[in-house]
Amino acid sequence: MIDTTAVLGYAWPMAVAPGETVSFHLSSETLAEAQLRVVRVRCADADPAGPGIRTTGPSSAIDGPIDLSHQPIHPGSCAVVADSAQLAGLGDFTFGCYLFPTLIGGRRQTIAARWNELRECGWKLELDEEAHLLLTIADGGRRWNVRAPKPLLEREWVLAAATVDLTGGTVAVHQASLARDGGRDRTGTATAAGPAAIAWPTATPLVLAAQGTGLDKPLRATSHHLNGKIDRPRLYAAALDAGRIGALVDALNPPNTDPALIAAWDFSRDIGGDTIRDLSGHRHDGILHQLPMRAATGANWDGRSNSWTEVPWQYGAIHFHDDDIADCGWKADRKLTVPADWPSGFYALELTAATGEGVSVESYVPFFVRAPRDRATAPLAVVASTATFLAYANSCLRLDQSHFEAMNEGLVLISGDDCYLSAHRELGLSTYDTHSDGSGVCYSSGARPILNMRPRGNTFNYVNDTHLLDWLEEQGIPYDIVTDEDIDREGARALKPYRVVITGSHPEYFSRPMLDAFETYQNAGGRHMYLGGNGFYWRIAFHPTAPGRIEVRRGITGTRTWEGEAGENTLSFTGEPSGLWRSNGRPPQRLVGVGFDAQVFDRSAAYRRLGDSFDPRVAFAFEGIGPDEAIGDFGLRLGGAAGLEIDRADATLGSPPNLMLLATADRIGAGGLPTTEEFRTTHRGLTGDQNARVRADIVFFETSQGGAVFATGSIAWCCALSHDGYDNNVSRLTGNVLRRFLDPRPFD
Amino acid sequence: MLENDPNAAHYPIDPDRLDLVEEFRRAPKGPHSDALQKVLHRMRWAGEPRRYVLIVIEPGRRWMLGRLPERRGGQIERLADHVFTDPADAEWEVFRRRWQAITGRVLPAERTV
Repeated sequence: MIDTTAVLGYAWPMAVAPGETVSFHLSSETLAEAQLRVVRVRCADADPAGPGIRTTGPSSAIDGPIDLSHQPIHPGSCAVVADSAQLAGLGDFTFGCYLFPTLIGGRRQTIAARWNELRECGWKLELDEEAHLLLTIADGGRRWNVRAPKPLLEREWVLAAATVDLTGGTVAVHQASLARDGGRDRTGTATAAGPAAIAWPTATPLVLAAQGTGLDKPLRATSHHLNGKIDRPRLYAAALDAGRIGALVDALNPPNTDPALIAAWDFSRDIGGDTIRDLSGHRHDGILHQLPMRAATGANWDGRSNSWTEVPWQYGAIHFHDDDIADCGWKADRKLTVPADWPSGFYALELTAATGEGVSVESYVPFFVRAPRDRATAPLAVVASTATFLAYANSCLRLDQSHFEAMNEGLVLISGDDCYLSAHRELGLSTYDTHSDGSGVCYSSGARPILNMRPRGNTFNYVNDTHLLDWLEEQGIPYDIVTDEDIDREGARALKPYRVVITGSHPEYFSRPMLDAFETYQNAGGRHMYLGGNGFYWRIAFHPTAPGRIEVRRGITGTRTWEGEAGENTLSFTGEPSGLWRSNGRPPQRLVGVGFDAQVFDRSAAYRRLGDSFDPRVAFAFEGIGPDEAIGDFGLRLGGAAGLEIDRADATLGSPPNLMLLATADRIGAGGLPTTEEFRTTHRGLTGDQNARVRADIVFFETSQGGAVFATGSIAWCCALSHDGYDNNVSRLTGNVLRRFLDPRPFD
Repeated sequence: MLENDPNAAHYPIDPDRLDLVEEFRRAPKGPHSDALQKVLHRMRWAGEPRRYVLIVIEPGRRWMLGRLPERRGGQIERLADHVFTDPADAEWEVFRRRWQAITGRVLPAERTV
């Protein structure tokens, strides 16, 4: 078994043009050294039934031995407010907020703290192991505690507060449930003896949703991260009674004319960014670390709107998680300026070594080289579906979700990467996973090792797409790589230089700028080949400024592994609705003629030609393919070219009037399971053995100004291209269409 | 919240339906009759504490039986004395373990008779 995880890393940025510099951030817990080589990836799939791992080394300036060190990852989100004289010099004070805990019990979680764990001094308000509010103040020697009498409930809003009354010599915690019916009321107060004076620590930040360790980065700076939502945290320089605490926290705009108001954070400000704003006038603004979920419904959300852009004052909450991770923050071990003569492509650092037990290590760190920014180097562009790669990054579904074996119709296959992920959750989750508190993961970042976006990775997305690259190399057809993020940032300009653009096996995640770019490209005479399935499905956003970050909110329909919470399906990055593009008025059928209809994970099928395929308009496509020939009754993914996730044409969803239905794979068995948005009510007969809407369609249509679209509607398509030494009808059909699409003669 | 409930698969498995055992033994990857599909769904959806999985030792060539950890963040257990060169044999091995756990009846270890 080859060890693919003894050394891991990430490239930053994920994609560069020739002349630009990419840095490589590496870590190994076990290896002191490895051999490094930059490779251009042709095929990333280790399956011996296919072409196998195929890379070429362009010979780079950084090739050679490299010393390695261990760089830990510290997951968990929080807000950090820099220290100030006011925070450091507090006498009597009250901290209060609304709290919505999402994973109680078992361990301590800090709500707010100005605390130095190393010196055991400061103050902190926690949820203890039994879900009781617990206030601790300490000065390094002495320590005072007070604990609320009743434990909090999971997923119920509560007012949570702590007071330090040096004047009266007491400390207290107070909680008040917002819902008091059905046994939900946990309202109560506890008071205990406290000091008359205390020396607070110096140079200590105030942290929300975690506490300071007293250590500095790259060591772990915070610990005891909270799982839950915090809304309207306030800090007040007096020991308030329960009534005044309630008024202070509840006020959307506490008066900054009150000199005792030290901080009043409003998380509904600047929702798209990583800053939290203080309304007090003291500018105790803070920085969010590791991307907690913003645009979360607050304690006052009443359902009048589902969008934070319409009622921002009802979105003053942030949902923190102990497993959030946006940036590993590793130092760069190597930097590479990409030479001008390197062809665009999928690239990777190949790191090889042997473990102490003599096991071969072969680990890859992927990056993408696009064309020079001022010109295309080929008439064909292949889109690197980086939004989709990010959405699936480090998916732990097969480890965590009981549906996976049933969906897979067989034992869950676990790779070496999965074994590593199982025990190393600090690498962060995919947008398919749920956090440790069960809430959906809506962000993904590339600033971390991504094990399923590299050679030898699990076979989906990245690995499947390299079968297309392998086929293009075999055919001798040159191409440039354009990434999703390039298209999001640059719009149709990123596609315009190309006569043909191919989207690969599963371009599932699309932002509005990306969809706009493709529509513009197609209608300006561009030729678009969509050689995949379940494309253009989820509406996402890239972060407006930070590179390599996407967001999706799963909404309440679609094939989804978690469901968005009520009111939390608007993107925090942009304020746009998320969910399916079909639910946003732009079904995939409108762009590429076909759209997702079903999953098929038991066996793939073949296509049969339909009447339209004999029309002279598409004679170019079927040269060398017989009228009764089964198309794609072979392939590396479950034995056929139509499988895994499949798409169909539908005029009511936007398939264009001039669409030609060339072939279909509509003999899908009982393992063909329609996606939820494909049926109105549940009823028998939904599966592929009884339901002709469970199928993969191959379609063609002309756009305007001589452009055209060809779509195959199946993830498995690209993985059939290499069958029988590339001499097969999937390869032939793809090649026929590509050659005609590359021909500048306009389509009618 | 929308959650997967492993206890939701409650199709009653008849210990006397050895015809379904034979059907699975002959073709672990199917296609399967309706009755066998229901048996398999019960087994696969419910799984077991520390679900059985198939660890890929050599892609397309060798696999090892394994078990998921009880909780997130744990190690996957490797059952080193259960290595397979045909994944269908691994499917049979897990099927017979689950059949025994559900029905109390022991099935032979060998898939081919």
